[in-house]
Amino acid sequence: MTTANEVLSAMQTAFPGAILESRIESERRLWAIIDYTQIVEVCKFMHDKLNFDHYSGCAGVDWVTKNEMEVVEFLASHGTHQVVAFLKVKTQRDNPSVKSLTGLYWNANWYERETWEMYGINFENHPELFPLLLPDELVGSWPWRKDFKGYPDVTTGQRAVERLNPSGHTEYIFSPTPAEIEAQTIIQERPKYPTFKEREESELKSDSEMIMHMGPQHAIVPGPFLLDVLVEGERVKKAFLDVGYIHKGIEKIMENRTWLQGITYTDRLCYLASLSNNECYCGVVERLLGITPPERAQYIRVILEELSRIQSHLLGTGEFLTLLGSATYSPFLYMIIDREDILALIESVTGARITHTFVRFGGVRNDLPEGFIDKCRSVLKKVESRTNEYIALFDQDPIYHLRMDNVGIITTEDAKLMGVAGPPLRASGVPYDMRKEDPILVYPDLDFKVISRTKGDASARIEVRLDEILESLRIIEQCLDRIPAGPIRTEEKIPKKVPAGEAYYRVEDPRGEMGIYAISDGTDKPYRVKVRGPVYAYFQALPPLLEGVYIADVVAIAGSMDACTAEVDR
Amino acid sequence: MAGYGEILSSIIDYMYSFISQYPALYALILGIVGALILSAIVNVGAMAVVWLERKVLGDIGARFGPNRVGGRWGIIQLGADAIKLFTKEDSIPEGADRQVYVWAPIVASMATMLVAAAIPFGALYIEGQEYPLVVANMDISAFYVEAALSLLAIGAFMAGYSSNNKYSMLGAFRGIARMISYEVPMGICVIAVAIMAQSLNLVEIVQSQTLWYAFAQPLGFIIFTIAIITDLGRIPFDQSEAEEEIIAGYTTEYGGIRWGLLYFQEYDMMLLGSILMVLLFLGGWSGPIIPLPLLSVVTPLIWFVIKIIIVLVFLIWVRGSLLRFRIDQVTDLGWKWMLPLSIVNLAWAVLVGPYLLAYFA
Repeated sequence: MTTANEVLSAMQTAFPGAILESRIESERRLWAIIDYTQIVEVCKFMHDKLNFDHYSGCAGVDWVTKNEMEVVEFLASHGTHQVVAFLKVKTQRDNPSVKSLTGLYWNANWYERETWEMYGINFENHPELFPLLLPDELVGSWPWRKDFKGYPDVTTGQRAVERLNPSGHTEYIFSPTPAEIEAQTIIQERPKYPTFKEREESELKSDSEMIMHMGPQHAIVPGPFLLDVLVEGERVKKAFLDVGYIHKGIEKIMENRTWLQGITYTDRLCYLASLSNNECYCGVVERLLGITPPERAQYIRVILEELSRIQSHLLGTGEFLTLLGSATYSPFLYMIIDREDILALIESVTGARITHTFVRFGGVRNDLPEGFIDKCRSVLKKVESRTNEYIALFDQDPIYHLRMDNVGIITTEDAKLMGVAGPPLRASGVPYDMRKEDPILVYPDLDFKVISRTKGDASARIEVRLDEILESLRIIEQCLDRIPAGPIRTEEKIPKKVPAGEAYYRVEDPRGEMGIYAISDGTDKPYRVKVRGPVYAYFQALPPLLEGVYIADVVAIAGSMDACTAEVDR
Repeated sequence: MAGYGEILSSIIDYMYSFISQYPALYALILGIVGALILSAIVNVGAMAVVWLERKVLGDIGARFGPNRVGGRWGIIQLGADAIKLFTKEDSIPEGADRQVYVWAPIVASMATMLVAAAIPFGALYIEGQEYPLVVANMDISAFYVEAALSLLAIGAFMAGYSSNNKYSMLGAFRGIARMISYEVPMGICVIAVAIMAQSLNLVEIVQSQTLWYAFAQPLGFIIFTIAIITDLGRIPFDQSEAEEEIIAGYTTEYGGIRWGLLYFQEYDMMLLGSILMVLLFLGGWSGPIIPLPLLSVVTPLIWFVIKIIIVLVFLIWVRGSLLRFRIDQVTDLGWKWMLPLSIVNLAWAVLVGPYLLAYFA
């Protein structure tokens, strides 16, 4: 097994001058500052020689007092070893620019675009540096920089001006208000780039082709996003994906809230995985604080997270199947009934159905209620038999196989290259699960398998989800058997001010690898929080998958990914 | 109770004398009354079908279905829906082809009524004699119904084409592609039935079913069932209005009562389609006569309605439990499987049919 030490020494031997600073946090965490000029070569070396084939994201950090900007690249491996390397590249604050990794890692595209539009850090050699989440009007003001004064008073209602455009449709213009001019936040010079509409219309080649919108309001979208497909007859020639319709800037909001208040925002990242997101945020703060929750709290967390995985998979599968049939497709409604039982269980502990805010630094908010264990066992039994029934039902349905088999195939290589996460990744033959790769809580003590398939098509993704439900049931049963008595929160006093430092924590969200990177500067508020979500990761793999399929398959492919727009946009 | 037959026969006598005196007037009155009764029966029947579908589909999906308007069973839910549709704003999209847009729902409804005109709605059994209830008893009614059914696709295509909407357009194309690939096997199945019955008259086809054609030509029955579901545009063949792909297909731009007409037309067709299935393959109104004075008159009607309800529930059950085909799979199935198999069935009807019928006669 490769450790962080070995990785660092290999890097130092290969590039003696490139590593300016380094820190080894643990066997699995390596932090290093890399020279600006050599970052691409270092990454190439790590990719080729050290098996860092998983680009897990990047975060921009604005060190306004040091007058410099930083881009942190998260590199990991798809199961060859468990080291996560954080390579930092520093650049000056005016006209910041770093080298793009898109040539090496295909999926760096979106992460770099987001960093560019939020921080104004230019990525050299990036093929399509267009805004991803921000509307075109806001690009150029670099809103996540620390010295960004904010948009002027939104309560005056003067920000969005309604007017008719030349073709007679209503348009909303963000015009500079007097307050804006005074605050000098008007964008002097906007970056030049083709807009989304211009980009997609430039692909229209003949009269027989047309662009069909699927979204932002469409039956296939789980939340607002725009999927434009360029079709000729029934065939999709190219797909264009535009996200950012519900961009809330959660990462920036968290910088203005105390550490504790941040937990509520993690609920809102994705309402189906709020417990995992709570866990991820609390875990990173616990790492910064250097505390571990007591064992009972760890078991409670595992039980609830697995329960929320089950309900998420049930809804994801059921909802997806209604896209292929109709809303009256009855297995969906039965899955909703099962999910209701699970939600009732979660609600009996946390008091909420979807936004729980349950996990706390060093423990959980409250203990399991009386009789929970027995109730849980009976529900698990029911869900298990019903899940087996679904598996058998789908297996013998010929239309199901006609629609799902060999649809939207992601090969193993593509899945690794495109950075797909969670069930879609495992369905493509990469058994990559954070519960095994980066074990947290009591997961190392539990006996469970990582479900994977090799086909990589839509039906394999559903199989993985349904089998994961069964596996989660097994995990919960083990937890229920083993859960010890004891305190549910750590005895240590949790300080309001978190010691300065940085940490990264990964959990296995129902949809895949969820990571939060947090920087503390020693105050009671985070300096920077970066959320690396799984849906964001596999969403950018969607447009290439849709090329050349039928319109009906767009629904099958997009649906089988089990998207959650709230988490993409954050 | 002995006198009811006499009263009936005196009425019939009077009608015969009236016909001989004023034949043209009789034809006119008969036409108007027939059309009114027909549309009333079809539309009330379709309302019952909508109610049945909501309730049964609700039950399949572990739901209640309508249970507020009109008491526990939600009987007048449809009335409430109709009031809502009638009072909605009538909006026509800016870029639409207005004439075609306005006429499309009317053409579609007219097509259903044309189909209904030739379809017998059961029979009355009076003194050992069956009187079929049919408005236009043609010699070629089976053929005529087939032809009128294809008009439906014209209405749908008009709606889709005139809306000036991409989803509508795709829906219209899909509707036509589906219609072409399934009308052919369906027509061949009807021909096979006609060959066995040695008649194209639906009434005679029913009367000739000493052995139900569902058993005499099982292959044809299966093909016809699939084809009729396709013609109705129901799951798994509802590609032309697949809401998860193309919003509402050809009805996307329709609202208010115009949409209501298109929607209702589908349920009219669902009723007529299941009637057609019962007539052609399930023995129509044939069944043992209940030997009770008044009840015996409506016995054929009772059997007819029971069979129709069974077919309807089957159609609803299919909708609740199957996924939708992709459009290329639909045409594949139509041309590569249904058409050859329907020809096999035709050969069966020609070669084996006479012996089968002679054996069971």
